[in-house]
Amino acid sequence: MEFVNPEGLRLDGRRPMEMRQLRAEIGAVARADGSAVFEMGNTKVIAAVYGPREVQNKSQQSNDQALVRCEYTMANFSTGDRKRKPKGDRRSTEISLVIRQTMEACILTHLMPRSQIDIYVQVLQADGGTRSACINAATLALADAGIPMRDLVTSCSSGYLNSTPLLDLNYLEDSAGGPDVTVGFLPKLDRVTLLQMDAKLPVDIVENVMQLAIEGCKAIATYIREVLLENTKQLEYRRGL
Amino acid sequence: CRSQFPISFIYIIVYCRKMVGLSLGEKHFIKGGIDQNIRSDGRKRDSYRPIFVETGIIPQANGSARVRMGATEVIASVKAELGRPSALHPDKGKVAIFVDCSAVAEPTFEGRGGEELSAELSVALERCLLGGTSGAGAGIDLTSLIVAEGKICWDLYIDSLVISSDGNLLDALAAAIKAALANTAIPKVNISAAASGDEQPEVDISDEEFLQFDTSAVPVIITLTQVGRHYIVDATSEEESHMSSAVSISVNRKGHICGLTKRGGEGLDPSVVSDMISVAQHLSELLMSRLDSEISAAEAEGGDEEL
Repeated sequence: MEFVNPEGLRLDGRRPMEMRQLRAEIGAVARADGSAVFEMGNTKVIAAVYGPREVQNKSQQSNDQALVRCEYTMANFSTGDRKRKPKGDRRSTEISLVIRQTMEACILTHLMPRSQIDIYVQVLQADGGTRSACINAATLALADAGIPMRDLVTSCSSGYLNSTPLLDLNYLEDSAGGPDVTVGFLPKLDRVTLLQMDAKLPVDIVENVMQLAIEGCKAIATYIREVLLENTKQLEYRRGL
Repeated sequence: CRSQFPISFIYIIVYCRKMVGLSLGEKHFIKGGIDQNIRSDGRKRDSYRPIFVETGIIPQANGSARVRMGATEVIASVKAELGRPSALHPDKGKVAIFVDCSAVAEPTFEGRGGEELSAELSVALERCLLGGTSGAGAGIDLTSLIVAEGKICWDLYIDSLVISSDGNLLDALAAAIKAALANTAIPKVNISAAASGDEQPEVDISDEEFLQFDTSAVPVIITLTQVGRHYIVDATSEEESHMSSAVSISVNRKGHICGLTKRGGEGLDPSVVSDMISVAQHLSELLMSRLDSEISAAEAEGGDEEL
């Protein structure tokens, strides 16, 4: 199947290095300490952060840092075919772990000992790149909750089909059988925190594809900063400053 | 006065579902306000919070809607799949309602924590919207879902997700399901080859022609929460945390009762129950007309965007 036609357009009309349309909304869930909705094209994800708060399970309490917990669930209606089991399956458990480790690395946990930070991510619509959208939404939600972080974590995926590196794969491109590289990046510190790849990729192409994903992450970071700045201006305005 | 406190306190501990951290002074304030017909957010006992409806938010589903009542937000989606009707009712399609309480709404819903509430809500919704086990008295006309009698029918899966929980989940879910059904378009099925006996006939699902679902008979649910001696409609989670009992009544457009659920441990005088039913019938007219106008506004908006 042709994923990049001779004119250089992909299945949804994008260029190989073009990302899908991004949209973010802060404060979607009123009761959460911090929340955000993040959309990358048709993939829509909502994240809520509760914390820092008292540790529920005393045996897990740590005296010198905060406990970070994460749960990833997909809604029944998020995929094309109805999902029977929204949570508890292996893929959800793995992605919960991945998000937790990524966010834990950048939260300044030593500032909040003996406390717990819960990150809940719910996928409302899945069209490829859910992992990345979840990490981006979690970053926004943590910022909305005012939890101190080293840097914003952004994530983007890239692949390699029809001998072309492609940025931000959608579901069709993801399930095409080509490699799918997901990168989690700290833009200010210029460090990669998450790197996952499946399927085969020639060694000399790996660098290229990974670099493309990192560029995507930097672009998302710029967008996230704009959104946070706008949100702060709104808050200032509402407080009459 | 002093002796009253311990008694009401015990009821609150035993019968409230969720412990919302409220001080004694706050509880007294809420209860006193309700007695005087002014609630904490300025509403009267019988007014609803502002309701926002958005339809067609999930393009993959046959129909979907998102309803916000104050800070309570729920999403409902309707998916239609072809299936076999049950042997007992060969002329009726099947409808299943599932509710999922997301951890995003409440940290206690993490893992399996929200299962109990989800099950309670799903069953209450099925009772109100789908009628008895024979399918009689259902708010949704199941015979309209049949394609080939005895062989093929549409199975509707209604999935709802609670995103934000601030009380009155049942009403919000019922409103979302009504809006999602109004937004539902079921593709037309042409039976290409007739088959005899047990064989499944071949079907051709049209991509272009759709049937809009008829929701005029779908009821709304009004939940009346009793706090002290009065009952309020559309309770917030603060108000729900010290209710003595709640009655959820589903009423359809004609004013007929389609289902009734009583929750909470405290007993109710039968006269109070019939009074609650008449109050619910009166309120349902207002709610129904409000929902209908919101839904048609949302549908019109969705249609404009397509153009």
